[in-house]
Amino acid sequence: MEKREETCTELFQFGEESEFQSLMSVVPPPETGNSFTALLELPPNQAVMLLHSPEETAPDNFTSPEFLETPNSILPNSSPNNFSLVKQEPVDSDSVHNSSPNMSDPVISKSTKRKERGKNVKSAAKKSKSVANETDGDKLPYVHVRARRGQATDSHSIAERARREKINARMKLLQELVPGCSKITGTAMVLDEIINHVQSLQRQVESGSLMDGNGNFTGMVSPPLSNQIWQPDGLTPQPLWGVEEMNPNFITPENSLLSYDSSRSSVSLHTNQLKMEL
Amino acid sequence: MKVHTSSKLRKEFIKKWVKGLQICCSLKKNMDILERKKKIKLCADIALASTKNETTLWSIALISDAKKDDENKILVDNLLGPESRFKPRMTNRQMIACHKRVRSKKILKKSRHVCQKMKKMGPPKSNLAAYIAKTLVKRRTQVLKRLVPGGESMDEFSLIKEALDYVLSLRIQVDVMRTLANANEVLNQSDSKIID
Repeated sequence: MEKREETCTELFQFGEESEFQSLMSVVPPPETGNSFTALLELPPNQAVMLLHSPEETAPDNFTSPEFLETPNSILPNSSPNNFSLVKQEPVDSDSVHNSSPNMSDPVISKSTKRKERGKNVKSAAKKSKSVANETDGDKLPYVHVRARRGQATDSHSIAERARREKINARMKLLQELVPGCSKITGTAMVLDEIINHVQSLQRQVESGSLMDGNGNFTGMVSPPLSNQIWQPDGLTPQPLWGVEEMNPNFITPENSLLSYDSSRSSVSLHTNQLKMEL
Repeated sequence: MKVHTSSKLRKEFIKKWVKGLQICCSLKKNMDILERKKKIKLCADIALASTKNETTLWSIALISDAKKDDENKILVDNLLGPESRFKPRMTNRQMIACHKRVRSKKILKKSRHVCQKMKKMGPPKSNLAAYIAKTLVKRRTQVLKRLVPGGESMDEFSLIKEALDYVLSLRIQVDVMRTLANANEVLNQSDSKIID
Protein backbone atom coordinates (compact mmCIF):
# COMPACT_ATOMS: atom_id res chain seq x y z
CA MET A 1 0.00 0.00 0.00
CA GLU A 2 2.77 2.33 0.87
CA LYS A 3 4.45 1.92 -2.40
CA ARG A 4 1.33 2.72 -4.20
CA GLU A 5 0.99 5.95 -2.34
CA GLU A 6 4.55 6.70 -3.12
CA THR A 7 3.97 6.34 -6.76
CA CYS A 8 0.88 8.41 -6.49
CA THR A 9 2.73 11.29 -5.06
CA GLU A 10 5.46 10.91 -7.56
CA LEU A 11 2.97 10.98 -10.31
CA PHE A 12 1.44 14.11 -9.14
CA GLN A 13 4.79 15.64 -8.93
CA PHE A 14 5.26 15.00 -12.53
CA GLY A 15 2.31 17.16 -13.13
CA GLU A 16 0.23 14.70 -14.97
CA GLU A 17 -2.79 15.40 -12.98
CA SER A 18 -4.99 16.33 -15.83
CA GLU A 19 -4.29 13.07 -17.46
CA PHE A 20 -5.03 11.30 -14.29
CA GLN A 21 -8.29 13.04 -13.84
CA SER A 22 -9.42 12.36 -17.30
CA LEU A 23 -8.66 8.74 -16.75
CA MET A 24 -10.56 8.78 -13.53
CA SER A 25 -13.62 9.98 -15.31
CA VAL A 26 -13.25 7.27 -17.86
CA VAL A 27 -13.51 4.49 -15.39
CA PRO A 28 -17.13 3.98 -14.53
CA PRO A 29 -17.70 2.15 -11.32
CA PRO A 30 -19.17 -1.10 -12.33
CA GLU A 31 -22.68 -1.96 -11.38
CA THR A 32 -22.99 -4.01 -8.37
CA GLY A 33 -25.47 -6.40 -9.79
CA ASN A 34 -23.17 -8.07 -12.14
CA SER A 35 -20.09 -6.79 -10.57
CA PHE A 36 -17.83 -9.42 -11.90
CA THR A 37 -18.85 -9.23 -15.45
CA ALA A 38 -18.83 -5.49 -15.28
CA LEU A 39 -15.32 -5.59 -14.03
CA LEU A 40 -14.40 -7.43 -17.10
CA GLU A 41 -15.60 -4.63 -19.22
CA LEU A 42 -13.10 -2.20 -17.92
CA PRO A 43 -11.98 0.13 -20.59
CA PRO A 44 -9.47 -1.78 -22.55
CA ASN A 45 -7.36 1.20 -23.33
CA GLN A 46 -6.13 1.15 -19.82
CA ALA A 47 -5.47 -2.48 -20.09
CA VAL A 48 -3.38 -2.02 -23.13
CA MET A 49 -1.01 0.21 -21.44
CA LEU A 50 -0.83 -2.03 -18.51
CA LEU A 51 -0.07 -5.01 -20.59
CA HIS A 52 2.45 -3.65 -22.87
CA SER A 53 5.17 -2.84 -20.60
CA PRO A 54 7.31 -0.60 -22.57
CA GLU A 55 10.22 -1.33 -20.49
CA GLU A 56 12.83 0.74 -21.98
CA THR A 57 15.24 2.42 -19.85
CA ALA A 58 14.58 5.80 -21.13
CA PRO A 59 13.94 8.64 -18.84
CA ASP A 60 11.30 10.81 -17.58
CA ASN A 61 7.71 10.27 -17.38
CA PHE A 62 6.03 7.82 -15.31
CA THR A 63 4.10 5.25 -17.04
CA SER A 64 0.50 5.14 -17.28
CA PRO A 65 0.28 1.74 -15.75
CA GLU A 66 1.17 3.09 -12.45
CA PHE A 67 -1.30 5.80 -12.27
CA LEU A 68 -3.80 3.82 -14.13
CA GLU A 69 -3.89 1.43 -11.33
CA THR A 70 -4.99 4.02 -8.91
CA PRO A 71 -8.33 4.70 -10.52
CA ASN A 72 -9.09 1.15 -9.85
CA SER A 73 -9.02 1.84 -6.21
CA ILE A 74 -12.34 3.50 -6.55
CA LEU A 75 -13.88 0.36 -7.80
CA PRO A 76 -16.13 -1.19 -5.27
CA ASN A 77 -14.33 -4.43 -5.08
CA SER A 78 -10.97 -2.98 -4.81
CA SER A 79 -8.57 -5.54 -3.70
CA PRO A 80 -5.06 -6.38 -4.61
CA ASN A 81 -6.34 -8.92 -6.96
CA ASN A 82 -8.02 -6.36 -9.04
CA PHE A 83 -4.88 -4.57 -9.73
CA SER A 84 -3.25 -7.52 -11.19
CA LEU A 85 -6.44 -8.22 -12.97
CA VAL A 86 -6.50 -5.00 -14.80
CA LYS A 87 -2.93 -5.41 -15.59
CA GLN A 88 -3.60 -8.56 -17.35
CA GLU A 89 -6.79 -7.35 -18.86
CA PRO A 90 -6.85 -8.32 -22.44
CA VAL A 91 -6.28 -6.22 -25.37
CA ASP A 92 -9.27 -6.10 -27.53
CA SER A 93 -8.21 -5.57 -31.00
CA ASP A 94 -10.51 -2.72 -31.67
CA SER A 95 -11.11 0.18 -29.45
CA VAL A 96 -7.61 0.33 -28.32
CA HIS A 97 -5.99 3.55 -28.28
CA ASN A 98 -2.38 3.48 -27.63
CA SER A 99 -2.11 6.71 -25.93
CA SER A 100 1.45 6.86 -26.75
CA PRO A 101 2.59 9.75 -24.69
CA ASN A 102 1.87 7.52 -21.83
CA MET A 103 3.46 4.55 -23.37
CA SER A 104 6.55 5.55 -21.76
CA ASP A 105 8.93 4.24 -19.67
CA PRO A 106 8.98 2.76 -16.39
CA VAL A 107 11.44 3.27 -13.79
CA ILE A 108 13.03 0.15 -12.67
CA SER A 109 11.43 0.40 -9.33
CA LYS A 110 8.13 0.11 -11.01
CA SER A 111 9.02 -3.15 -12.56
CA THR A 112 9.99 -4.56 -9.27
CA LYS A 113 6.75 -3.43 -7.81
CA ARG A 114 4.97 -5.17 -10.56
CA LYS A 115 6.77 -8.26 -9.66
CA GLU A 116 5.62 -7.96 -6.16
CA ARG A 117 2.04 -7.43 -7.10
CA GLY A 118 2.66 -10.89 -7.94
CA LYS A 119 0.95 -13.47 -9.98
CA ASN A 120 1.65 -11.33 -12.91
CA VAL A 121 2.00 -13.13 -16.11
CA LYS A 122 4.74 -15.60 -15.75
CA SER A 123 6.41 -14.36 -18.84
CA ALA A 124 6.97 -11.06 -17.19
CA ALA A 125 9.67 -12.62 -15.14
CA LYS A 126 12.38 -11.29 -17.31
CA LYS A 127 11.70 -7.68 -17.23
CA SER A 128 13.74 -4.61 -16.76
CA LYS A 129 15.08 -3.88 -20.14
CA SER A 130 13.34 -5.22 -23.06
CA VAL A 131 13.74 -5.20 -26.67
CA ALA A 132 10.94 -3.36 -28.20
CA ASN A 133 9.29 -4.57 -31.25
CA GLU A 134 8.06 -1.82 -33.28
CA THR A 135 5.60 0.63 -32.04
CA ASP A 136 4.35 3.72 -33.58
CA GLY A 137 3.55 6.47 -31.33
CA ASP A 138 0.20 7.04 -32.90
CA LYS A 139 -3.17 6.01 -31.82
CA LEU A 140 -4.20 3.23 -34.06
CA PRO A 141 -7.20 1.02 -34.09
CA TYR A 142 -5.17 -2.09 -33.61
CA VAL A 143 -2.79 -3.18 -31.00
CA HIS A 144 0.87 -2.80 -31.01
CA VAL A 145 2.50 -5.27 -28.82
CA ARG A 146 5.99 -5.19 -27.65
CA ALA A 147 7.78 -8.35 -27.05
CA ARG A 148 9.41 -8.77 -23.77
CA ARG A 149 12.92 -9.82 -23.43
CA GLY A 150 13.69 -13.42 -24.00
CA GLN A 151 10.49 -14.15 -25.81
CA ALA A 152 9.62 -15.02 -29.29
CA THR A 153 8.67 -12.12 -31.36
CA ASP A 154 6.53 -13.62 -34.02
CA SER A 155 2.99 -12.55 -34.14
CA HIS A 156 1.60 -15.92 -33.30
CA SER A 157 3.21 -16.25 -29.98
CA ILE A 158 2.39 -12.72 -29.10
CA ALA A 159 -1.21 -13.23 -29.91
CA GLU A 160 -1.09 -16.42 -28.00
CA ARG A 161 0.37 -14.69 -25.05
CA ALA A 162 -2.27 -12.01 -25.14
CA ARG A 163 -4.89 -14.68 -25.22
CA ARG A 164 -3.36 -16.47 -22.31
CA GLU A 165 -3.26 -13.29 -20.34
CA LYS A 166 -6.90 -12.70 -21.05
CA ILE A 167 -7.77 -16.12 -19.81
CA ASN A 168 -5.68 -15.75 -16.73
CA ALA A 169 -7.37 -12.52 -15.88
CA ARG A 170 -10.74 -14.12 -16.02
CA MET A 171 -9.56 -17.06 -14.02
CA LYS A 172 -8.62 -14.64 -11.32
CA LEU A 173 -12.12 -13.30 -11.20
CA LEU A 174 -13.48 -16.77 -10.99
CA GLN A 175 -11.15 -17.49 -8.17
CA GLU A 176 -12.53 -14.64 -6.23
CA LEU A 177 -16.03 -15.75 -6.86
CA VAL A 178 -15.77 -19.32 -5.83
CA PRO A 179 -15.16 -19.61 -2.13
CA GLY A 180 -11.88 -21.06 -1.10
CA CYS A 181 -10.27 -20.72 -4.44
CA SER A 182 -8.08 -17.76 -3.88
CA LYS A 183 -5.44 -19.78 -2.17
CA ILE A 184 -5.12 -22.29 -4.91
CA THR A 185 -2.49 -21.79 -7.48
CA GLY A 186 -2.68 -23.33 -10.83
CA THR A 187 -5.37 -23.29 -13.39
CA ALA A 188 -6.22 -26.94 -13.18
CA MET A 189 -7.03 -26.93 -9.52
CA VAL A 190 -9.02 -23.77 -9.75
CA LEU A 191 -11.01 -25.22 -12.58
CA ASP A 192 -11.56 -28.25 -10.47
CA GLU A 193 -13.02 -26.20 -7.70
CA ILE A 194 -15.18 -24.28 -10.06
CA ILE A 195 -16.55 -27.44 -11.54
CA ASN A 196 -17.32 -28.81 -8.13
CA HIS A 197 -19.04 -25.63 -7.20
CA VAL A 198 -21.18 -25.54 -10.29
CA GLN A 199 -22.09 -29.17 -9.87
CA SER A 200 -23.05 -28.71 -6.27
CA LEU A 201 -25.15 -25.70 -7.12
CA GLN A 202 -26.96 -27.61 -9.79
CA ARG A 203 -27.58 -30.49 -7.45
CA GLN A 204 -28.94 -28.10 -4.88
CA VAL A 205 -31.32 -26.71 -7.43
CA GLU A 206 -32.56 -30.19 -8.14
CA SER A 207 -33.10 -31.08 -4.55
CA GLY A 208 -34.57 -27.68 -3.86
CA SER A 209 -37.15 -28.09 -6.54
CA LEU A 210 -37.99 -31.48 -5.15
CA MET A 211 -38.48 -30.05 -1.73
CA ASP A 212 -40.57 -27.27 -3.06
CA GLY A 213 -42.70 -29.79 -4.81
CA ASN A 214 -43.01 -31.67 -1.56
CA GLY A 215 -44.04 -28.63 0.33
CA ASN A 216 -46.73 -27.79 -2.09
CA PHE A 217 -47.96 -31.29 -2.01
CA THR A 218 -48.40 -31.43 1.72
CA GLY A 219 -49.72 -27.93 1.69
CA MET A 220 -52.44 -29.04 -0.59
CA VAL A 221 -53.23 -32.23 1.19
CA SER A 222 -53.96 -30.73 4.55
CA PRO A 223 -56.80 -28.46 3.54
CA PRO A 224 -58.46 -30.70 1.00
CA LEU A 225 -61.65 -28.72 1.04
CA SER A 226 -60.06 -25.49 0.09
CA ASN A 227 -58.24 -27.32 -2.59
CA GLN A 228 -61.40 -27.98 -4.44
CA ILE A 229 -62.30 -24.40 -4.38
CA TRP A 230 -59.01 -23.25 -5.65
CA GLN A 231 -58.48 -25.65 -8.43
CA PRO A 232 -60.81 -24.15 -10.96
CA ASP A 233 -58.73 -21.03 -10.87
CA GLY A 234 -55.61 -23.00 -11.47
CA LEU A 235 -54.07 -21.52 -8.42
CA THR A 236 -53.04 -24.66 -6.67
CA PRO A 237 -49.50 -23.67 -5.91
CA GLN A 238 -50.72 -20.39 -4.58
CA PRO A 239 -52.27 -21.35 -1.25
CA LEU A 240 -48.82 -21.65 0.13
CA TRP A 241 -47.96 -18.11 -0.78
CA GLY A 242 -51.17 -16.80 0.58
CA VAL A 243 -50.59 -18.55 3.86
CA GLU A 244 -47.15 -17.11 4.14
CA GLU A 245 -48.39 -13.64 4.01
CA MET A 246 -50.77 -14.27 6.79
CA ASN A 247 -48.22 -15.69 9.13
CA PRO A 248 -45.27 -13.43 8.91
CA ASN A 249 -43.98 -14.24 12.33
CA PHE A 250 -43.19 -17.73 11.26
CA ILE A 251 -40.95 -16.69 8.51
CA THR A 252 -39.16 -13.76 9.96
CA PRO A 253 -35.84 -15.53 9.61
CA GLU A 254 -36.49 -15.74 5.95
CA ASN A 255 -36.76 -12.06 5.50
CA SER A 256 -36.00 -12.21 1.87
CA LEU A 257 -39.31 -13.77 1.12
CA LEU A 258 -41.21 -11.16 2.97
CA SER A 259 -39.54 -8.39 1.13
CA TYR A 260 -40.87 -9.77 -2.07
CA ASP A 261 -44.40 -9.46 -0.94
CA SER A 262 -44.90 -6.41 -3.01
CA SER A 263 -43.88 -8.16 -6.16
CA ARG A 264 -46.07 -11.07 -5.45
CA SER A 265 -48.95 -9.18 -4.07
CA SER A 266 -50.74 -8.97 -7.33
CA VAL A 267 -50.29 -12.65 -7.82
CA SER A 268 -51.46 -13.82 -4.48
CA LEU A 269 -53.81 -11.12 -3.45
CA HIS A 270 -56.84 -12.94 -4.62
CA THR A 271 -55.71 -16.09 -2.90
CA ASN A 272 -55.63 -14.12 0.27
CA GLN A 273 -59.16 -13.08 -0.25
CA LEU A 274 -60.19 -16.62 -0.92
CA LYS A 275 -58.57 -17.75 2.25
CA MET A 276 -60.30 -15.04 4.17
CA GLU A 277 -63.61 -16.16 2.90
CA LEU A 278 -62.96 -19.65 4.10
CA MET B 1 -23.14 -8.21 -0.51
CA LYS B 2 -25.38 -10.94 -1.63
CA VAL B 3 -28.52 -9.34 -0.32
CA HIS B 4 -28.41 -5.87 -1.63
CA THR B 5 -26.81 -6.49 -4.92
CA SER B 6 -29.02 -9.23 -6.05
CA SER B 7 -32.32 -8.46 -4.43
CA LYS B 8 -33.55 -6.91 -7.62
CA LEU B 9 -32.57 -9.97 -9.56
CA ARG B 10 -34.19 -12.18 -7.00
CA LYS B 11 -37.43 -10.33 -7.20
CA GLU B 12 -37.47 -10.64 -10.91
CA PHE B 13 -36.64 -14.28 -10.69
CA ILE B 14 -39.41 -15.00 -8.25
CA LYS B 15 -41.96 -13.13 -10.28
CA LYS B 16 -41.19 -15.05 -13.38
CA TRP B 17 -40.99 -18.31 -11.56
CA VAL B 18 -44.36 -17.91 -9.95
CA LYS B 19 -45.87 -16.93 -13.23
CA GLY B 20 -44.46 -20.01 -14.84
CA LEU B 21 -45.77 -22.22 -12.08
CA GLN B 22 -49.18 -20.73 -12.47
CA ILE B 23 -49.21 -21.49 -16.13
CA CYS B 24 -47.99 -24.96 -15.41
CA CYS B 25 -50.77 -25.65 -13.02
CA SER B 26 -53.39 -24.27 -15.26
CA LEU B 27 -52.22 -26.50 -18.03
CA LYS B 28 -52.25 -29.67 -16.07
CA LYS B 29 -53.98 -30.22 -12.81
CA ASN B 30 -52.86 -33.28 -10.99
CA MET B 31 -49.25 -34.13 -11.33
CA ASP B 32 -47.36 -36.64 -9.36
CA ILE B 33 -44.41 -35.49 -7.42
CA LEU B 34 -41.74 -36.17 -9.97
CA GLU B 35 -43.56 -34.33 -12.66
CA ARG B 36 -44.13 -31.49 -10.35
CA LYS B 37 -40.50 -31.37 -9.48
CA LYS B 38 -39.57 -31.28 -13.11
CA LYS B 39 -41.96 -28.47 -13.79
CA ILE B 40 -40.70 -26.53 -10.85
CA LYS B 41 -37.17 -26.90 -11.96
CA LEU B 42 -38.01 -26.03 -15.50
CA CYS B 43 -39.85 -22.92 -14.51
CA ALA B 44 -37.04 -21.91 -12.26
CA ASP B 45 -34.47 -22.39 -14.98
CA ILE B 46 -36.42 -20.44 -17.48
CA ALA B 47 -37.11 -17.70 -15.02
CA LEU B 48 -33.45 -17.51 -14.21
CA ALA B 49 -32.41 -17.33 -17.78
CA SER B 50 -34.98 -14.71 -18.59
CA THR B 51 -33.64 -12.39 -15.95
CA LYS B 52 -30.60 -12.02 -18.09
CA ASN B 53 -32.50 -10.64 -21.04
CA GLU B 54 -30.42 -12.45 -23.57
CA THR B 55 -27.24 -10.79 -22.58
CA THR B 56 -25.44 -13.99 -21.87
CA LEU B 57 -24.87 -17.03 -23.99
CA TRP B 58 -25.88 -19.52 -21.39
CA SER B 59 -29.27 -17.98 -20.90
CA ILE B 60 -29.97 -18.08 -24.58
CA ALA B 61 -28.85 -21.67 -24.73
CA LEU B 62 -30.94 -22.63 -21.74
CA ILE B 63 -34.10 -21.20 -23.13
CA SER B 64 -33.65 -22.56 -26.59
CA ASP B 65 -32.99 -25.95 -25.12
CA ALA B 66 -36.18 -25.71 -23.15
CA LYS B 67 -38.05 -24.81 -26.27
CA LYS B 68 -36.93 -27.89 -28.09
CA ASP B 69 -39.31 -30.00 -26.13
CA ASP B 70 -42.72 -29.61 -27.62
CA GLU B 71 -44.63 -29.77 -24.44
CA ASN B 72 -42.45 -27.21 -22.82
CA LYS B 73 -42.64 -24.93 -25.76
CA ILE B 74 -46.11 -23.72 -24.92
CA LEU B 75 -45.13 -23.03 -21.40
CA VAL B 76 -42.09 -21.11 -22.40
CA ASP B 77 -43.93 -19.05 -24.91
CA ASN B 78 -46.59 -18.16 -22.45
CA LEU B 79 -44.13 -17.37 -19.79
CA LEU B 80 -41.88 -15.20 -21.80
CA GLY B 81 -44.68 -13.41 -23.45
CA PRO B 82 -44.86 -11.80 -26.80
CA GLU B 83 -41.43 -10.30 -26.57
CA SER B 84 -39.77 -13.64 -26.58
CA ARG B 85 -37.30 -13.65 -29.35
CA PHE B 86 -35.72 -16.92 -28.46
CA LYS B 87 -35.78 -19.32 -31.26
CA PRO B 88 -34.73 -22.93 -30.91
CA ARG B 89 -31.19 -22.83 -31.98
CA MET B 90 -31.43 -25.60 -34.41
CA THR B 91 -33.86 -28.18 -35.58
CA ASN B 92 -33.35 -31.75 -34.60
CA ARG B 93 -31.78 -32.66 -37.86
CA GLN B 94 -29.34 -29.85 -37.59
CA MET B 95 -28.52 -30.97 -34.10
CA ILE B 96 -27.69 -34.45 -35.28
CA ALA B 97 -25.56 -33.15 -38.10
CA CYS B 98 -23.81 -30.86 -35.69
CA HIS B 99 -23.09 -33.70 -33.34
CA LYS B 100 -21.69 -35.78 -36.13
CA ARG B 101 -19.48 -32.97 -37.23
CA VAL B 102 -18.25 -32.40 -33.75
CA ARG B 103 -17.55 -36.04 -33.26
CA SER B 104 -15.58 -36.44 -36.43
CA LYS B 105 -13.61 -33.37 -35.59
CA LYS B 106 -12.81 -34.83 -32.24
CA ILE B 107 -11.59 -38.03 -33.79
CA LEU B 108 -9.40 -36.13 -36.17
CA LYS B 109 -8.01 -34.03 -33.42
CA LYS B 110 -7.25 -36.99 -31.31
CA SER B 111 -5.39 -38.81 -34.01
CA ARG B 112 -3.46 -35.67 -34.81
CA HIS B 113 -2.53 -35.29 -31.22
CA VAL B 114 -1.34 -38.82 -30.97
CA CYS B 115 0.82 -38.32 -34.01
CA GLN B 116 2.29 -35.19 -32.61
CA LYS B 117 2.95 -36.84 -29.34
CA MET B 118 4.84 -39.62 -31.01
CA LYS B 119 6.91 -37.13 -32.89
CA LYS B 120 7.97 -34.98 -30.04
CA MET B 121 8.69 -37.50 -27.40
CA GLY B 122 12.03 -35.95 -26.69
CA PRO B 123 11.53 -32.30 -25.84
CA PRO B 124 8.40 -32.63 -23.74
CA LYS B 125 10.36 -34.40 -21.10
CA SER B 126 11.96 -31.14 -20.19
CA ASN B 127 8.66 -29.55 -19.40
CA LEU B 128 6.70 -32.59 -18.61
CA ALA B 129 5.02 -30.77 -15.83
CA ALA B 130 3.72 -28.18 -18.20
CA TYR B 131 2.46 -30.84 -20.48
CA ILE B 132 0.65 -32.60 -17.70
CA ALA B 133 -0.79 -29.35 -16.49
CA LYS B 134 -2.04 -28.62 -19.94
CA THR B 135 -3.80 -31.92 -20.23
CA LEU B 136 -5.40 -31.51 -16.88
CA VAL B 137 -6.66 -28.11 -17.78
CA LYS B 138 -8.01 -29.41 -21.02
CA ARG B 139 -9.91 -32.16 -19.33
CA ARG B 140 -11.42 -29.78 -16.92
CA THR B 141 -12.46 -27.29 -19.51
CA GLN B 142 -14.24 -30.09 -21.25
CA VAL B 143 -16.13 -30.91 -18.10
CA LEU B 144 -16.98 -27.31 -17.55
CA LYS B 145 -18.26 -27.07 -21.04
CA ARG B 146 -20.67 -29.83 -20.33
CA LEU B 147 -21.89 -28.21 -17.16
CA VAL B 148 -22.57 -24.74 -18.35
CA PRO B 149 -25.58 -24.69 -20.64
CA GLY B 150 -24.54 -24.07 -24.16
CA GLY B 151 -20.94 -24.44 -23.26
CA GLU B 152 -19.88 -26.68 -26.06
CA SER B 153 -20.01 -23.98 -28.60
CA MET B 154 -17.99 -21.48 -26.69
CA ASP B 155 -14.34 -20.84 -26.83
CA GLU B 156 -12.35 -21.06 -23.64
CA PHE B 157 -12.35 -17.40 -23.02
CA SER B 158 -16.04 -16.78 -23.16
CA LEU B 159 -16.63 -20.04 -21.41
CA ILE B 160 -15.02 -18.70 -18.32
CA LYS B 161 -17.03 -15.53 -18.44
CA GLU B 162 -20.23 -17.46 -18.93
CA ALA B 163 -19.36 -19.77 -16.10
CA LEU B 164 -18.88 -16.77 -13.86
CA ASP B 165 -22.25 -15.42 -14.69
CA TYR B 166 -23.90 -18.78 -14.46
CA VAL B 167 -22.52 -19.37 -11.00
CA LEU B 168 -23.88 -16.05 -9.83
CA SER B 169 -27.32 -16.78 -11.15
CA LEU B 170 -27.31 -20.30 -9.84
CA ARG B 171 -26.59 -18.99 -6.43
CA ILE B 172 -29.60 -16.75 -6.58
CA GLN B 173 -31.73 -19.63 -7.68
CA VAL B 174 -30.56 -21.93 -4.96
CA ASP B 175 -30.99 -19.28 -2.37
CA VAL B 176 -34.54 -18.49 -3.31
CA MET B 177 -35.49 -22.10 -3.51
CA ARG B 178 -34.00 -22.86 -0.20
CA THR B 179 -35.78 -20.08 1.58
CA LEU B 180 -38.99 -21.19 0.02
CA ALA B 181 -38.44 -24.74 1.10
CA ASN B 182 -37.65 -23.63 4.61
CA ALA B 183 -40.75 -21.54 4.73
CA ASN B 184 -42.74 -24.51 3.53
CA GLU B 185 -41.40 -26.63 6.28
CA VAL B 186 -42.09 -24.14 8.97
CA LEU B 187 -45.58 -23.52 7.75
CA ASN B 188 -46.37 -27.17 7.46
CA GLN B 189 -45.26 -27.70 10.97
CA SER B 190 -47.38 -24.89 12.19
CA ASP B 191 -50.31 -26.11 10.18
CA SER B 192 -50.06 -29.55 11.61
CA LYS B 193 -49.93 -28.05 15.04
CA ILE B 194 -53.11 -26.18 14.44
CA ILE B 195 -54.87 -29.22 13.11
CA ASP B 196 -53.77 -31.27 16.06
